[in-house]
Amino acid sequence: MAAWGCLAAALSFGVAACGDDDEGGSASSGSGDSGSTSLTVYSSLPLQGDSRPQSQSVVNGIKLALEESGGKVGNFTIKYTSLDDATASAGKWEAGQVSTNARKAAQDKSTIAYIGEFNSGASAISIPVLNQAGILQVSPSNTAAGLTRKEGAAPGEPDKYYPSGKRTFGRVVPADHIQAAAQVTFQKDEGCKKTYVFNDKEVYGKGLADQVEQIAGQQGLEIAANEGIDTKAANFRSLAQKVKSSGANCMFFGGITQNKGVQLFKDVHAQNPSVKLFGPDGVAESPFTSKLGAEVEKMTYITNPTLDPKLYPTTGQEFFKAYEEKYGAAPEPYAIYGYEAMKVVLLAIEKAGDKGNDKQAVIDAFFQTKDRDSVLGKYSIDENGDTTLSDYGADVVKDGKLVFDKVLKAQT
Amino acid sequence: MEAASLPETGPASRTPGRSAGDFVLDNILWVILGGALVFFLATDFTQTLVDIKTGLSNGTIWALIALGYTLVYGIIELINFAHGEVFMIGSFVAVSVWQTFEVSAASSLLVIVGSMAVGLGAAMLVSGSLNVMIERVAYRPLRGAPKLAPLITAIGMSFILQNVGLLWRGTPDSTPDLIRSQKEVFTLLDVTIVRSDIFAVAVTVPLLVALLWFVGSTRYGKAMRATAQDPDAARLMGIDVDRTIGLTFLLGGLLAGAAGMIYALYNGTIQFNQGFTAGLIAFTAAVMGGIGNLKGAVAGGLIIGVIQALGDTHAGGRWTPVIVFGVLILIMVFRPQGLFGEETREG
Repeated sequence: MAAWGCLAAALSFGVAACGDDDEGGSASSGSGDSGSTSLTVYSSLPLQGDSRPQSQSVVNGIKLALEESGGKVGNFTIKYTSLDDATASAGKWEAGQVSTNARKAAQDKSTIAYIGEFNSGASAISIPVLNQAGILQVSPSNTAAGLTRKEGAAPGEPDKYYPSGKRTFGRVVPADHIQAAAQVTFQKDEGCKKTYVFNDKEVYGKGLADQVEQIAGQQGLEIAANEGIDTKAANFRSLAQKVKSSGANCMFFGGITQNKGVQLFKDVHAQNPSVKLFGPDGVAESPFTSKLGAEVEKMTYITNPTLDPKLYPTTGQEFFKAYEEKYGAAPEPYAIYGYEAMKVVLLAIEKAGDKGNDKQAVIDAFFQTKDRDSVLGKYSIDENGDTTLSDYGADVVKDGKLVFDKVLKAQT
Repeated sequence: MEAASLPETGPASRTPGRSAGDFVLDNILWVILGGALVFFLATDFTQTLVDIKTGLSNGTIWALIALGYTLVYGIIELINFAHGEVFMIGSFVAVSVWQTFEVSAASSLLVIVGSMAVGLGAAMLVSGSLNVMIERVAYRPLRGAPKLAPLITAIGMSFILQNVGLLWRGTPDSTPDLIRSQKEVFTLLDVTIVRSDIFAVAVTVPLLVALLWFVGSTRYGKAMRATAQDPDAARLMGIDVDRTIGLTFLLGGLLAGAAGMIYALYNGTIQFNQGFTAGLIAFTAAVMGGIGNLKGAVAGGLIIGVIQALGDTHAGGRWTPVIVFGVLILIMVFRPQGLFGEETREG
């Protein structure tokens, strides 16, 4: 299995040499030292169902970052293995698959870092496994606040995710206390007086919906309801009727495309043609935007951590160019975050110097990231593992594509 | 699940010697369901009418799928777990037809009507043939095997077909909105009837009538009923039991294909795992109505549709599945044979 992964990685880069895989050892302790010069970075993202285009784009971003470093950091050869945390039957991330992936990485002695998961609910499962193994985990896209912060989190979060008592998880995308503030700003800008909130009941979707509800309360935006949906329902006509009865002039869905996002937007619009429909970064992807249709997309507004390429520093603009050249298509929103996640991991290994194969040294180096000039702009990683970036993009949809509208300066 | 053979008449049939208590118990669920409806109508008349309308039009799709479960169970006492996926493939085929011919809402009326007929025909044909094939490959060789064996092959078939769907369309697809599905047609008692409501009923009712006529009045239907009652006796009477079972799967598949095409136009999005949930709900509907009972399957589908709509309105979407299955448990406890009684041979 590992050999195949190695072969695949080798074929895709033509750089990393396949060293001996010493898999199957027991999980190493926090100060584990793989003792070898061949290190593995795993990624775990949903590569089946409609998450695939976005995840594949993230994988491409990760590969691009590794290629730029020639597959090496100092004396260490870096191998990259992409894992899939989705199953066909679920059509999105699946808990069993997530823990299988996390255990696989935890048991591989050469593992130095783990990029993932894509979904916050999935990370809630993998963080504890990797935390006990003392492996650095960086998510390109998790925004649920409770993974790292007490504010806006459920009881017991975030400590319950870190059984070892030490922090091992960080992210390169701003957390949802920022997105929720941006969302409320966006809604008020668009003239919302009363918003009907739906959520998909997941860690990410419900967490975000709850925070939107809370911040809206502070900012004088009325919330008609905050309702969990049955993500297996065939349609949402009854719920669309409730939006109508409530007199709301806006709707917000805290959730992901894979949990019937398109169906919900279509059904709510059909019965409420004048209601503005707001979605978060969980639907900021082509499988969602390309399926809405001409009528619904006119009323759709999405917050997205990815800004207009023109607003990024020169290195960011170069990333967009390099990506299009290599893969022949524009990246999905999270590709640049995949790229940066790999970059920051490689940087941590580099900063650890001779201890680049010491897991704890790499974790420490990651948490010491300060004023890094990245493709996303200048940021630091705080003690929670959160980025100090806070700009959110306000997007609209035209011809099935996300179109950047403006920057939302979120005040936290 | 040992089946008890019951007369076809509804639960209200009173045989001599049964106490009034039994009669009330038999009908208590109707009283509860009816009572709940009356209560909701009294509290919010218009909203409840809207819910009933939404529920009935959603329920027609469940009813069509439920018939496939009930037909197959009635004749070989097997739960065809792959049936939901057969319905999903039906949706995919119909949408592929429209995408191939590039039909859209902007096409001429003749093209739209024609392509809908072709889509319906293709979906029914493919789903019907697929169901017959599944029976040949996965169930027929296990006819004499313990009941668990075909159950496992059925689940296996379900997963295989789900992956076929995944390879075919990895991401949810939008259906061309040929009927302008949510365009208002007329308003009755403050309830807005949209085109998809009429469409779902207009396609479903003729299919149901045709099926009931086929099973009730033709030689083949008679052979099906005879095989359901006693396959060995049927064989002695010269009925080709294998062919009759194949025919039953064909009928179930045809209806699933039709349901798939209606679902695609009604909801506007299709995805590879839609069959799993739809199958579960339709199977529940079949059990609720009384497995093996055609009219029961239809009633079960409609009742579940209405319960779902009322649940969405009064308890919120997250609780709807709990309410549906809560009602099912209640029905099973009081009437294990379902609302209309089972029609299967005695085990």
